[in-house]
Amino acid sequence: MRYLLISLLFLLAGCASYQDLNNFEKQEAPDEAITNPYFSDVTKDYVYKANIVFYDKSFGGLFIVKKIEENHHRIVFTTEMGAKIFDFSFHYNEFKVNYILDEMDKKILLNILEKDFRVLVREKEKAITKSIKNNSELFETKIVSKNYYYLFNEGVLDKIIRANNGKEKVLFLFSKISDTTAKNIQILHKNIKLTINLKSIN
Amino acid sequence: MRKIIYLLLFMVSAIHAQTKMTDSEALHLKEKVKSQAAKTNTIISDFVQYKHLDFLSNDIITSGKLAFKTPDLVKWEYVKPFVYSVIFKNENLYINDEGKKSDVNLSSSKLFKQLNKLIINSVKGDMFDENEFEIAYFKKETTSEVHFTPINKKISKYIKSFHIQFNTQGDVVEIKMIEPSDDYTRIVFSNRTINKPLSNAVFAY
Repeated sequence: MRYLLISLLFLLAGCASYQDLNNFEKQEAPDEAITNPYFSDVTKDYVYKANIVFYDKSFGGLFIVKKIEENHHRIVFTTEMGAKIFDFSFHYNEFKVNYILDEMDKKILLNILEKDFRVLVREKEKAITKSIKNNSELFETKIVSKNYYYLFNEGVLDKIIRANNGKEKVLFLFSKISDTTAKNIQILHKNIKLTINLKSIN
Repeated sequence: MRKIIYLLLFMVSAIHAQTKMTDSEALHLKEKVKSQAAKTNTIISDFVQYKHLDFLSNDIITSGKLAFKTPDLVKWEYVKPFVYSVIFKNENLYINDEGKKSDVNLSSSKLFKQLNKLIINSVKGDMFDENEFEIAYFKKETTSEVHFTPINKKISKYIKSFHIQFNTQGDVVEIKMIEPSDDYTRIVFSNRTINKPLSNAVFAY
């Protein structure tokens, strides 16, 4: 009986939303859009020194993002010496591979990168719910059928969480923020050993 | 109307301020570069790298130092805006990424070995292998420029063409690697010193 109770509790916890699990208090349905300002300036070339750790392998390179126009971004990864590793375009929900090194042309990997980078450059999204805790606001949204939570501390976006049944799957952490640029960005996967560290160099 | 055509023609030729060399001029340059390369035991140089991607507003500029020692030791070191070095040594790449060290063995991949050899040869400028490249020679204002277009399809998939500029002594002053998409990496050398004694410790990992 006790075992049943514990299982039930676990099940319930499994169904609890990310907001509830983190003690956020739900507000009225919001009509505001969520804004990610970090890749929103068409006049800027965003260049980051990147370090990608995938299981026991580590790759370095330059991670370059350019906003071409509204809802249209280009993302290129090159080695330090300039050789292209991949070149992607995001146009609304459309994803295009302009180039990828043969060795990396794997569907599973492409799916992961597509999902991560789409969220990274997505500028405006309609919020489904809004919750608050102290000086933090948490907005829930859906991007191509996945649940995301945008955490703003004192109005500054410092975390995006992809979660499933309240469980964190992928974290996007923004730090060293000045104005609309995040000098440091980390994309952290919880269910696979993949971490992408980005450090602005321009 | 005719004036416009002349003007356009003039503009086109002004942009391409380079003329094809005659066969004897080309042969002369090739001999000079080859003999200069044969005499070169060490190279120390500063470089500035311009990564050009068509969609960017500005080229990405990085800079650092190059060290070369015969027969095949190369250290390529970025100093700005980040600290990163790669040493080409015995079919291995030794990488130091802001203190984080790793190495890559190239011996299992023929392609990587070929690309590696190309990088080493391009530093000296001696890539005059007609079995590997289609070679075209040009005169510019103060320099000579040679276009090396890889014949091997496996190589040309990565690099459409190497454009190497030589000064009057036959030393490399600029390398431009053009990708199939026409994006390119341009490397400009300065303070290039030849045959200054260079300890192996420079290439220690």
